[in-house]
Amino acid sequence: MSKVTKVWVFAEKNTALAQLCAGGRQLGEEVSALVLGTKEEAEKAVSYGADKVYWLGSSKQDKMLEDYTATICELLKKESPNLLMMQASKRGKHVAGRLAANIGTSVIVDAAGIEIAGGMIQVKHMVYGGAAFRVERALGKTTITTVGPGLFNALPEDNSRQGSVVEVDFVEPAGSVKCLERKSKKGAEVNLSAAKRVVGIGRGIASQEDIKIVEEFAGLIGAEVGCSRPIAEGVNWMPKERYIGVSGAMLKPEVYIAIGISGQVQHMVGVNQAKVIIAVNKDKGAPIFQHTDYGIIGDLYKVLPALKELIKTNNEN
Amino acid sequence: MNIITCYKIVPEEQDIVVLPDRSLSFARAEWKIGQYDLNAIEAGMQIVEAAGGKVSALSVGDKQLENSKLKKGVLSRGPEDLYLVMDEQLENSDTFLTAQVLTAAIRKIGEFDLVICGEGSSDLYAQQVGAQLGEMLNIPTINGISKITPEGNKIIAERTLGNEIEVLEISLPAVVSVTTDINLPRIPSMKNILAAGKKPIIEWDLSAVGLQGVTKQTEVISTLAPENVERKKVIFEGESEEVIQKLFESIRKELL
Ligand SMILES: Cc1cc2nc3c(=O)[nH]c(=O)nc-3n(C[C@H](O)[C@H](O)[C@H](O)COP(=O)(O)OP(=O)(O)OC[C@H]3O[C@@H](n4cnc5c(N)ncnc54)[C@H](O)[C@@H]3O)c2cc1C
Ligand SMILES: Nc1ncnc2c1ncn2[C@@H]1O[C@H](COP(=O)(O)O)[C@@H](O)[C@H]1O
Repeated sequence: MSKVTKVWVFAEKNTALAQLCAGGRQLGEEVSALVLGTKEEAEKAVSYGADKVYWLGSSKQDKMLEDYTATICELLKKESPNLLMMQASKRGKHVAGRLAANIGTSVIVDAAGIEIAGGMIQVKHMVYGGAAFRVERALGKTTITTVGPGLFNALPEDNSRQGSVVEVDFVEPAGSVKCLERKSKKGAEVNLSAAKRVVGIGRGIASQEDIKIVEEFAGLIGAEVGCSRPIAEGVNWMPKERYIGVSGAMLKPEVYIAIGISGQVQHMVGVNQAKVIIAVNKDKGAPIFQHTDYGIIGDLYKVLPALKELIKTNNEN
Repeated sequence: MNIITCYKIVPEEQDIVVLPDRSLSFARAEWKIGQYDLNAIEAGMQIVEAAGGKVSALSVGDKQLENSKLKKGVLSRGPEDLYLVMDEQLENSDTFLTAQVLTAAIRKIGEFDLVICGEGSSDLYAQQVGAQLGEMLNIPTINGISKITPEGNKIIAERTLGNEIEVLEISLPAVVSVTTDINLPRIPSMKNILAAGKKPIIEWDLSAVGLQGVTKQTEVISTLAPENVERKKVIFEGESEEVIQKLFESIRKELL
């Protein structure tokens, strides 16, 4: 694949930075990393694959990452890289949008693939909740895109790599969003993507209490429990880390069992890679049945207990 | 407080048809208000109900915006008036063009304290327009807002990020993008729906907001459905012991 001249990368976290640097190496002749943090952290970007580091300085107590947007923007206007890849976090997307507005372009978010064809950068990303992939190209000098985990694999850290570190002066931002307080939220660590078996809970479950019924079933077959988005955001019965789909976790299990899930495209793109999909839903017309290997049209409150019994008897024998 | 809430109308995903060449057809699609923009409208309503003021709704797009059911749908959720910028050039806008037109429309509307956007549009889910709009209006902007408390000429807001919550002080005027868990959007009553028919709707085209000959900053090369994953589709019906036994027989090797 041909390369473009200048690729810039920016990430909040080191793991993401390392992946973006590796991606930069694939796509560009020269990779520059923008780093907010200690001098050591800035130098570390070189070992990840950056040729040049724009060091934004150590993060200041009274400043948010977002306050560096104006600083990055000046640099961007001066240097016009061909491609700027940013970590697809909430902060990353916000800063990307503001930069794009300043240089007169759109951000192509959540890249599922980046290619250089005939010297032009083309980015593939999901649209219509996963119903389609769109390949899009930015018309301006700089393409800005956000990249999630896993698109690129980090290179082994190489401390013998050479690169330059350029210190960048802080540009005072105009507007005022002040952070008064930071509270940490203790989210239970879950790694749904690693699970071999996953049971998904949808709005077919009538109350938070009843989640137990599904959890017991999952326990019997050694499965992790996930859910549809409204269960995590809406009624808030389960933590956000557990919802599956285009804006949540993307899975690739051996078996996915959907319990009371209608099967909207935004949910299904998260489980389409499952080897086998099983569904329990009382509505014959639910779209989920178009995407299942084995399904049962019936009330989950009747089907699950009966299935549990069958599994138990089977385990005893 | 004068609030402008921005919403996008989108094709119902269930009605999108994948054609044999994997392109999409919207010919039979119903259009609806973006699911997450209902939270933006509701957030605006809750602020004025608590602190006084007025909510206006704003959307830009092509002729689909003419749909009178959708206009009523928005107004029945509480806003006092509705502003629409409709132009054929706005079909399939990218986020930059959308933000540019919203900026021009908001400048023309004039006075406002707070612009509220949804977390993302239901079709693109780019989560971009709010940030770009704030920057173009040259006022403070932030995303991920899950709680808003008005306080004089500023707001105190909570922002939910992966593993932390920030408490922010945002000076007004500002643009915020709210999350979907900020509230549960109300369901309009019959009375609300009837009242909606009497509320003012102001319609502009691009030249009315002083934007002629604007263009997209991106070019779409293709939009194709992913290759279909073939599924067995063995479906049982009923809750009797026999039926569940049959289901169990066919899935036992997957479960045990
Ligand atoms: C931009 C955008 C992004 C989104 N991202 C995601 C995402 O990442 N993940 C996601 O999940 N959603 C996402 N959504 C939401 C998505 O569109 C659907 O609203 C959601 O997936 C529906 O969840 P559900 O199937 O649990 O609920 P519903 O659609 O309400 O379905 C409930 C189902 O349960 C069945 N049922 C009811 N009672 C019983 C019973 N007793 N026994 C058996 N079955 C029963 C019903 O027949 C129905 O089919 C997104 C939406 C948008 C607009
Ligand atoms: N055409 C539009 N008209 C009005 N508001 C919009 C439009 N498109 C997007 N928005 C707003 O911007 C938010 C983010 O959209 P997006 O960047 O497309 O995900 C949406 O939730 C809406 O509040």
